[in-house]
Amino acid sequence: MPWYLYLALKQLFPTGRRFPFFTAISVLGVTLGVALLVVVMSVMGGFGYEIRRMITDTQGEVQVRGDGQVLVEQPEELRAAIAAIPGVAGVTPNAVGVGLLKFENKSAFPQIQGIDVRHIESVANLNRFILKPDTLDDLDDDSVILSSQLAVALGARRGDKIEFYSLLMIEKLQESETMLPRELRVAGFFVVGHQQLDGNTALVTLRRMQDLYGLGHSVHGFNVRLAPGEDAATAAARITAALPPAAGVQAYPWTDSFSDFLWVLQLEKNMIFFLLLFIVIVAAFSVTSSLLISVVRKTREIGLLGALGGRPRQVAACFCTQGLLIGGCGTVCGLGLGFVLLWLRNDIVLGLARLFGHQDVMRQFYMVTQLPSHTSGLDVAKIVIFTLVISTLAGLLPAWRAARLKPVEALRHE
Amino acid sequence: MSEHVLAATGLRKTYLSGDRRIEVLRGVDLAVAAGESVAIRGESGSGKSTLLNLLSGLDAPDIGSLRWAGRTPAADTRARFLGMVFQSFYLIPELDALANVLMAARILGVPGAAGRARAVELLAKVGLAGRATHLPTQLSGGERQRVAIARALMNSPRLILADEPTGNLDEATGDNVIALLLGLCAETQTALVLVTHNAAHAAKTSRQLFLHDGVLK
Repeated sequence: MPWYLYLALKQLFPTGRRFPFFTAISVLGVTLGVALLVVVMSVMGGFGYEIRRMITDTQGEVQVRGDGQVLVEQPEELRAAIAAIPGVAGVTPNAVGVGLLKFENKSAFPQIQGIDVRHIESVANLNRFILKPDTLDDLDDDSVILSSQLAVALGARRGDKIEFYSLLMIEKLQESETMLPRELRVAGFFVVGHQQLDGNTALVTLRRMQDLYGLGHSVHGFNVRLAPGEDAATAAARITAALPPAAGVQAYPWTDSFSDFLWVLQLEKNMIFFLLLFIVIVAAFSVTSSLLISVVRKTREIGLLGALGGRPRQVAACFCTQGLLIGGCGTVCGLGLGFVLLWLRNDIVLGLARLFGHQDVMRQFYMVTQLPSHTSGLDVAKIVIFTLVISTLAGLLPAWRAARLKPVEALRHE
Repeated sequence: MSEHVLAATGLRKTYLSGDRRIEVLRGVDLAVAAGESVAIRGESGSGKSTLLNLLSGLDAPDIGSLRWAGRTPAADTRARFLGMVFQSFYLIPELDALANVLMAARILGVPGAAGRARAVELLAKVGLAGRATHLPTQLSGGERQRVAIARALMNSPRLILADEPTGNLDEATGDNVIALLLGLCAETQTALVLVTHNAAHAAKTSRQLFLHDGVLK
């Protein structure tokens, strides 16, 4: 081991009973920064992971659709063609639109999703999101399943009859024709855990959707479930290539369909990372400060090292290494502490909620009683690399000061 | 005539103190042969330490020439050519006695096993075989200086420069340290330049010089 690494280790962790106070304080600062980064990034990753999972659980991993409002006119043939493509585990047609729902004196303009009850389960396990005791089997052509918050907004309960107005009805009015609103029975409610879906969505059968929007037998597109391990972008390209050009449709990975949303999620995560990184930067100032004190305290020793033949760049390396070692120890301890906190996260959150008596509020507003967590290797790698780089940089100024000391002057230092 | 281990000719050194120029050394000539011990005495502030810094190559003279075994001094040969002993020992407090001695070899990159064996041998020679794992704070002043002497000898230098090595020691301990230093230098044919105030210690060397008015006499 080079002498400057050996001395750096010995100065940080001296032999004997002396407690390395300066080292402990410096390491503690980095530890807290890293632990907080791990916890926050993992919890944010957990929410992001849950949202992504919810999207793919309800929409499939690939959407096949035409550009704009192009309709797929022979959906059954195309559905069978898509289902036969390798890597495709399930396909279901869909039709979506906006409608007016009216119940008593309340109204709402939700997004209406027409689902094919024969095939939907091959793509999306909707029963998982439908509040018990109702199931998807309760949905027929004369009923609707409402998202939870939409039901609250309308004040509708199970079995209530609500009026449905589609855009087709307005178009008919312009042609001096009249279409009466359809009455749909509320067959159940669903909660997905995604504000956009839970706030303003209604599910009807595909047949009812085609009827209300005058689609005939056409659909807007297909949701595709892929076999486990399939990459959405690769599979989408494969599906597009396999489809007849005359069909006028293309396959898009779900990441394309939700690219803006995913970009916002990533932006939020990057911003949080950037802001929390300042904790590590502040800790690095503490490292710089204690190493500068060390340079002053050890001026004569630095002079001695020069007198013994140590070169300025080796003396500098000794102090830079100390910054790196503090960063390394802080990173290891911080990762350990972070993962312990993640392991105990639900107990901590519930303990705090219980302490302040807000357990029900938490369940009501966040719809969770458990904090999700998903730690990605990339996040951990980013945390480790940034921390080590910042800690090493923290040692640069003390290292520069130490390297500039002339042995003859350093040995005279009082 | 054998080649001198150390040859200094016409060394001059001037310091600026405010607007004043203080000429500390005004042409010092010194030649030391292998195995020879030379004591340099002088009043406080006479420039003894300045001279030692010039002889060690840690500082450069304004005028004059210095040769180490006939060669121009260079920073990268210093560790192999000379060992230094200081008044304040300058042991590294985080390292035990053995590691302090070994540090001189580590800086040169000498392999561990051979270096370690020599460090153990040197500690035994300075009478500290049983204190190898003791930290400097657990050693007395005399023991610390003995560790420093072992460190100075670690790389088998041809010259040792000692700057008042007994200045922080009581008389009896100082006597022992000087006897040890002279004995080891004689045994290994290492030249010694000893800066001291102590006339008795100086008398034990093979040659005594006085630094007065910036000149060695």
